[in-house]
Amino acid sequence: MGSLSSSMWIASQALDADQGALDATSNNIANQNTPGYSREIPVLTEADPTVEGNVTYGNGVVLQQIQSVRDQVLQLQIADQNQQQGSAQAQYNALQQVQSLFSDPTQGIGADFTAFFNSISQLSTDPSDMADRQSVLTAAQNLVGDFHSTEQNLDSIQSGLNQSVGQTVSQINTLTAQIAQLNVQVGQMEKLGQDPGTLGDQETELIQQLSQLTNVNQIQTENGLTLTTGSGTPLVVAGQSFALQTTSGASGVTDIASQGQDITGSLQGGQLGGTLQIRDTVIPGLLGQLDNLASQFATSFNAAQASGYDLNGNAGQALFSDTSGAGAASNLTVALSDPSLIAASSDGTAGSDGNVSNLLAVQNQALPSGESPLDTYAGFVSLTGNLTSQANAEVTASTSSLTQLNNQLGSVSGVNLDEETTNLMNYQRAYEAAARIVTTVDELTQSVLDMGSGVTAAP
Amino acid sequence: MRVNPNFTPDILNDLWTSQAEEQTDIEELATGRRVNVPSDDPSAAAADVQNQALQSENDQYLQNTTNLEGVLQTADSTLSSVVTALNQAISLGTQGANGGLSSSQQQAIAQQVEAIQSQVVQSANVSYQGSYIFGGTVTQTPPYALDSAQPDGVTYSGNSGTNTVEIAEGQNMQVNLPGSQIFQGSGGDVMGSLQQLITALQSGNSTSIGTATTQVSNALSYLSQQRVFYGSAVSQLTANQSFLQQEQVSLQAQDNSLVGVDMATAATDLAQAQTAQSAALAAIAQVIPQSLLNYIK
Repeated sequence: MGSLSSSMWIASQALDADQGALDATSNNIANQNTPGYSREIPVLTEADPTVEGNVTYGNGVVLQQIQSVRDQVLQLQIADQNQQQGSAQAQYNALQQVQSLFSDPTQGIGADFTAFFNSISQLSTDPSDMADRQSVLTAAQNLVGDFHSTEQNLDSIQSGLNQSVGQTVSQINTLTAQIAQLNVQVGQMEKLGQDPGTLGDQETELIQQLSQLTNVNQIQTENGLTLTTGSGTPLVVAGQSFALQTTSGASGVTDIASQGQDITGSLQGGQLGGTLQIRDTVIPGLLGQLDNLASQFATSFNAAQASGYDLNGNAGQALFSDTSGAGAASNLTVALSDPSLIAASSDGTAGSDGNVSNLLAVQNQALPSGESPLDTYAGFVSLTGNLTSQANAEVTASTSSLTQLNNQLGSVSGVNLDEETTNLMNYQRAYEAAARIVTTVDELTQSVLDMGSGVTAAP
Repeated sequence: MRVNPNFTPDILNDLWTSQAEEQTDIEELATGRRVNVPSDDPSAAAADVQNQALQSENDQYLQNTTNLEGVLQTADSTLSSVVTALNQAISLGTQGANGGLSSSQQQAIAQQVEAIQSQVVQSANVSYQGSYIFGGTVTQTPPYALDSAQPDGVTYSGNSGTNTVEIAEGQNMQVNLPGSQIFQGSGGDVMGSLQQLITALQSGNSTSIGTATTQVSNALSYLSQQRVFYGSAVSQLTANQSFLQQEQVSLQAQDNSLVGVDMATAATDLAQAQTAQSAALAAIAQVIPQSLLNYIK
């Protein structure tokens, strides 16, 4: 049987539920611009009915839960794109610096090669001219100087990257420590079937930030998430985070270790992976090629020098010294300071330019590496250009893919003000109506109390 | 259907894209180059390295050509003065062979020919910018010295070396003839015949004076043949110069098509990027104030 008190109770339940719903709406509006926030919806259900004979009485509404609207699959895809974008962006930033070393065709090693051989060609028109001979030495100095500076610039880009490796690792450690804290709470709530709400949002947001830095595998377990690097090194397990350590490696590079084990080579993806790729693969590769070029060029030129005679009729001495393989680009020096020692002569007379053709031949002859000096240098230009434009294309691709994924996620989890305003009005009206029921029932109760007292209720 | 209510990242992205395009277009227009860093077009950038090298080499070939012109012209005009001197010697010889001359007159003619001889030696010792040009590759000492003990009346301290200079890609040009070939060649010995004429004049034997004069005239025609080498070398250089200048123009044209920007396209692109940007800005201005709240009183 229905009763006034049950109506009153239903109305007060409704007021509670509507208040809760208004809270959710208010929280949504408040967090409209909070990064990582997922909108919350009040889950309203009917209360269990009371059955009396043939009549089933509804018992009002229950606010069961305030639920965050999430999409785990999208979150995982976004994390994956984040690590790709982080990696591509880090590579692109570093490669832009690298390619700038090779970007001016009228300067640098390539132009120096040409200027050097031009000075020798000039010498052939007057082999005994000291000014022309001095120009050859000057051009050789310029060439060697640009080998040095290119090598040094690559080194300094590399050490800049090395520094950023250290910084990134400490960012990763901060993030994993924060995630581990949240992970315990979120895991417990989920275990109890509660919605982790904003704690879950915070954890997800931190994981997204972590993905920017390195590739992260997420495994859902009973006790919350387990996070590992792409190759399986644990980062967060339940409430515990495993900090990565940095150690100074052999040649001053920062190595990364986890629990005493070096994992530098296995880290991929994210800002850290991209930085390591450039620091440990691209730049050492370029430096090696630069060393080869310097060494092979200097060796062939020295051989051409040896086949001729200098201005004094002596056999040609080596123009370049310290030409041996590794480090050649930074060690190479011009050994001669006396311009008369350029071996232009083929027969020992001062006026002969017979050996110039041998000296000039080095310009177009293939070095042992397979290409002429200038072609080898042009190879650097196209290599760095290709790497940079590839990284740029990856940045563009992952950015547009991220935009799309974020749009998808936003369409699920984003706060729409119009929607919230509409909800606000709905709950407001519902609250007003429930309050009206309370007033009405109150009046009715008054009437009941007044029954038999001779006082009639107000008409 | 629910859509992403937060369109700010999208709009900002559009703005950034159109701004970046604007910047690229402006840079292209300002520099006149489509390829400003290797990543703009890696293969064109690499080809540009080659092209710049070719242009620079071409400049050097032009420089070589100019340098050589001076020395070759000096050689040519020097030989021209030797021709004049030899012609004088021939007319003196013809005069000396005339039977009606007294011995002292012949001695006087002999002295004139001796003067010619030393003038020819002087010519053979001509130098250009400190280098003797008729000594083969021995350029630091004068190649000829008068030496009456020698049958030719001179000693040659040069050699028979020749030099070649690259004056265009793969094109090497011989740039000198050794003095021994010009003045003491097998086809006509300038030095020897002059000495022979002097000796004949001194001896007063008209027959041998006549023979010697014929020798000088042979030597003259041989020298003229040798002189053709310098004449044609100079004209080869002139031709080469215009070839190189043309080559320079075509290399620059190649460079322009490699890395140069098409101004019309870049300007159009810039206008398009600007339009895109103002459209994006207009969209933001339109959309952001829109909300249900505007309509609730």
